[in-house]
Amino acid sequence: MTRNEGVGLAVAAIGHVALFAILSVVWLAKPVPLPTPKPIEVSLVDAVALDQQAPPAPEPPAQSTAPDQGPPEDAPPPAKAPEPAPDPAPPKPQPAAVPPPKPAAKPVPSVNKPVAEKVEKPAKAKAAPVKAAAPPAKAVAATKAAGANSSATKAKATGSLLDDDFRKGLSQTPSKAKSPDAAPGATMDAKAAADIGSAIRRQVQPCADRQVNPGPGASRIVVTIALSLNRDGSLAARPSVSGDHGGVDDENRRYVDAVDRNAIATFSGCAPLRGLPPELYDVPRGWKTFKLRYKLPG
Amino acid sequence: MTSLALNTDATSLSPIGIFLHADPVVQIVMVGLLLASIWTWAIILGFFFRLGATRRKTERFERDFWKAEDIDAFHRIEGESDLPIAKVFAAGVAEWRRSTAGGQVDRGGTRERLATAMGAAVAGEIDALSDRLNILATVGAVAPFVGLFGTVWGIMRSFTSIAAAQNTSLAIVAPGIAEALFATAIGLFAAIPAVIAYNRFSHGINRIEARLNRFADGFHATLSRQLESEVKR
Repeated sequence: MTRNEGVGLAVAAIGHVALFAILSVVWLAKPVPLPTPKPIEVSLVDAVALDQQAPPAPEPPAQSTAPDQGPPEDAPPPAKAPEPAPDPAPPKPQPAAVPPPKPAAKPVPSVNKPVAEKVEKPAKAKAAPVKAAAPPAKAVAATKAAGANSSATKAKATGSLLDDDFRKGLSQTPSKAKSPDAAPGATMDAKAAADIGSAIRRQVQPCADRQVNPGPGASRIVVTIALSLNRDGSLAARPSVSGDHGGVDDENRRYVDAVDRNAIATFSGCAPLRGLPPELYDVPRGWKTFKLRYKLPG
Repeated sequence: MTSLALNTDATSLSPIGIFLHADPVVQIVMVGLLLASIWTWAIILGFFFRLGATRRKTERFERDFWKAEDIDAFHRIEGESDLPIAKVFAAGVAEWRRSTAGGQVDRGGTRERLATAMGAAVAGEIDALSDRLNILATVGAVAPFVGLFGTVWGIMRSFTSIAAAQNTSLAIVAPGIAEALFATAIGLFAAIPAVIAYNRFSHGINRIEARLNRFADGFHATLSRQLESEVKR
């Protein structure tokens, strides 16, 4: 090895080490972010439903017992009635500064008192005395400028008075009158549906991971799949795709059938679903039939 | 300075990180290719300096030679040089002296011997110059295949890991494939400069060889003329 080659070898070795060191260090400042795909996205069709979630209470017995305890409770509410009135009183100067809308002022008296309806629209200053005369307990008469807001608060106060009575009557009775065979919470509410949905999702995860993405854009397709289940968690019938597909565009339109097959294979592959609450099987909206949204990973 | 550290994360493109996470076989391939690359560049740099210096000194030698009045005096000055053209010149002068030392001079035989001696000197010098050029050729031809071997091995390993995990998710196979492909990358990294340098230096050595042959022919002609005039006398 001549001197030239020795120098060349040293330079080459140093150059390689420097190159790899630079490549290793420089990328540290900004590591390339590899997107971690979510394995599966299954969401409930009606996870947040505007359903009435109270158990179906037998109503006729409740009404029969309500009058017994209703009348004693009626006495206090008139005493409470003056209390809400002073509270709205302080904000009154603020609405007074704003020119009160005339149409708004008119309907409120009509709800409260038929007497106010007779008063003409332009005579708004007069409207206040008329109202003050009808309910003597109210402090409304102190201010002449009784705007739309003040009259609105009055309407609420009187409305809530009725509600309180009504609720008191109902709230105490149902506990006695309830029939024992109706289990508490026997209806599938949103929370129970979400729990069942996540339980199913956890169990079909291995099968979902095994599905092959048929093509670009296919992971945007959302399939609504309907399961019909037996009580032991096995499938009563083959899962079926119900309704329209979401997220279909020109790019992935031809993959819709393939995604349908993926969805069906996912749920039928991991078929016997374990650990679902048996008491929610055959209730209204129970998991005898269950709908899920399915999406390919990615 | 906290950010200045070696990145050994497998999900980055850091060579160190990829190397540390790779399969042992792939690691061996990578190390071998890296050494081949270092050796290739050492040869390239050595050739670069040597051929450049040889070309410059040869030009100067030729210029001085054709200007020289007395060949014997010139031989005393330049005869001991390591330059290829000086070696050819020295071989010619030595053969001339041996052939003309006796009383009887065979002109035809002397011419042939001069040509043979200088041709052998040219061939020997070119052989010495082009030593190690074969290494460049070998690296340029073989390094991509060696890298491909590492890649194939790494991808095979990735697929067996799919089978083991029973999971076709890309996250299972992607790191292994990236590591495997890095072997091919290093192979190409070593091979491309080697091929370019091989072609370039082959061309340079061919030119030097042609120049030495021209010089040998010219010197041979000079010695032939000298032979005729000296024998006549």
